[in-house]
Amino acid sequence: MALDFSQPQKQSAAGILISGAYTLQRLIRAIIFPLIILVIKANKSVLIYAGFALLAVLIISIIYGYFYYLKFTFYLNPIKQEFIIDKGVFGRKNLTIPVEKIQQVNINQGFIQKLIGVYSLQIDTAGTDSKEVNIGAISGQTAYALKKHLLNGSEQNAMQSENIAEMIENPMHQQETPFIKIDVSTLFKIGLTSNYGRSVALLIGFGYAVLHNLKELFKVLDRDKGQIENFFASGFTMFSIAILFVALIIILLATNVIRTFIKYFDFQISRHQKSLLISSGLFATKNTLLHPNKVQITEYSQNYLQKKIGLFNMALKQAHAGQQQSDKEVKSGNMEVPGCSPREKNEILQMILSKLPNESTRYKPNFRFMNLPIVFWVIIPLAAYLIFYQYLPEIRSFYSLAIIYVLAVCFAIYISYTKHRIAVSEDFIIKQSGIWDISQEIIEPHKIQSISTSQFPWHKSLDIGHVTLHTAAGNISFSYGNYTEIKTLVNFWLYQVESKDKDWM
Amino acid sequence: MQHFTNETIDIQQLPKYEETALTAPASKYWQVMLINLIIFTLLSGGGLAILILIDEEIRANWAIFVGLFALIIIVLFLLYWASFKRRGFALREKDIIYKSGVIAETTTIVPLNRIQHVALNEGMLSRIFKLGTLHVYTAGGSSGEIRIAGVPIEQAKALKEALVQRLEVKTTNESE
Repeated sequence: MALDFSQPQKQSAAGILISGAYTLQRLIRAIIFPLIILVIKANKSVLIYAGFALLAVLIISIIYGYFYYLKFTFYLNPIKQEFIIDKGVFGRKNLTIPVEKIQQVNINQGFIQKLIGVYSLQIDTAGTDSKEVNIGAISGQTAYALKKHLLNGSEQNAMQSENIAEMIENPMHQQETPFIKIDVSTLFKIGLTSNYGRSVALLIGFGYAVLHNLKELFKVLDRDKGQIENFFASGFTMFSIAILFVALIIILLATNVIRTFIKYFDFQISRHQKSLLISSGLFATKNTLLHPNKVQITEYSQNYLQKKIGLFNMALKQAHAGQQQSDKEVKSGNMEVPGCSPREKNEILQMILSKLPNESTRYKPNFRFMNLPIVFWVIIPLAAYLIFYQYLPEIRSFYSLAIIYVLAVCFAIYISYTKHRIAVSEDFIIKQSGIWDISQEIIEPHKIQSISTSQFPWHKSLDIGHVTLHTAAGNISFSYGNYTEIKTLVNFWLYQVESKDKDWM
Repeated sequence: MQHFTNETIDIQQLPKYEETALTAPASKYWQVMLINLIIFTLLSGGGLAILILIDEEIRANWAIFVGLFALIIIVLFLLYWASFKRRGFALREKDIIYKSGVIAETTTIVPLNRIQHVALNEGMLSRIFKLGTLHVYTAGGSSGEIRIAGVPIEQAKALKEALVQRLEVKTTNESE
């Protein structure tokens, strides 16, 4: 079916529903706790008014969605090769995107969109805010056809569009068999062994929100006599701490596994000539087309447990499009591959770097690498403890914990020292670091944007210095190395960057 | 492949960035820094004076506060001086080098073929002294950028022109 994009087009009519549903979802999320309080506290008449108010908001949001749908048009100007979006209910907004500036077209399907059977289409350009160029609801056919048109228009993207054309013939099922497919058991293993940090942060945030809101609830009910504080004050015996600890670990692991499943369920990578098509997600399927040239840093990591079961985590870090970007956008530029075997890891490396890193010279840091961490993590906390030891008799019995802490931290710092390495070869720079998760970040010299070296005055006679390689996807640093060696390396890298006119993107 | 063997032999013979002669910022720039420091001293000193006048407790111990304040200003003065003495830049055929640092001495090198764009800023004070700040942007984010302050404006304009011209040559080559 040929679709004519040169005429202004509307979104799929289901867009009204999508817009209404999103407004409602946002509204409910914002007022859920006050709402509960209201339901408990208020009398009937107030409740009825509140119900009416809510209904009115819902109706208004659907009406707004309807007008938004009416006013939202997009079309492709075939002569000027520009993609144009007109939108806005109250103020009009006209977005013009030259087709040649389009870097990437993403087609996604959120949970609600999956229910209705529509897709959203996002256009990535260098410089503009990606949220601006977002078509919320179009049919799968239109989405893929539009993607083809957009990427076809620019000659630079000719390669990519061929891949797209190939995909479009069979939009829902990819023709090529994915060369990496992560099955349920691998996901489960990865969920158990990685990303503890993020789950902990999530749980702390969630736990805090629940406690805070519970307290608000008690306050409203006039029953706040400090139950929560009392619970915490009285509950901390050694025994309950142990139970709490075990329960927390179980919750943590469960959260980790669930999170991994939601994000990476049915994870597939398939090859489309020179690009990689990555798709994953349990509720919302996310499709990303990734061009190996755009990957700036290739990272793989492994911890002790993963080493035993032979799995790697990988992250492909892409260039950030604009000058200043929020952390979230920077993160979205990173493609993560959860759990791949050594063979799959090498296959991806081969795809991205076009050859595998071979033998190289490894550089070690000086033992003074450990000085600062020891001051911050051992000496200062220990001094604080010893000072309090004089004045607070209660904490004296915890001295065994203090000893364990000091030993554990010293050990961790020593491990981080032994793992901090940089390996340099003709084609690659590999930085190894980590304490538990040992990661290897690989960059090619022509991806370097600029280089900084630095040295403290008191390290001059010791010939110790630091170097940072700035790339479009973040920095790579090597600290406390031999400064003479570092300077030689920097001159070598500068030579590599400056003598060849190899593009970094 | 012959190219390859040449490279490996030549590593020690490569041009050395650390031996490049650097141009220090204009001596007038030290006056700009001093005026900045004096403005800061006056503002914060005024704040302290008001506090001493209002608060009884602080007035009782005024000597300690004034002493601390003087110490901070002296330390700041020394840091400014150290920072001024450390600064230097050089334009080489293929890259631009900038050295700076208050305590640690940092040298940043941006290859010319990695420059995204160049900006020339003139602050109010700098304009009086006919100085400019050259800002060299790369795709490597703010930490990998170069800001050369206190360049005589004529020289800064010439530098910018030279860098921009090279950028244009590069982009026209690319579009062909």
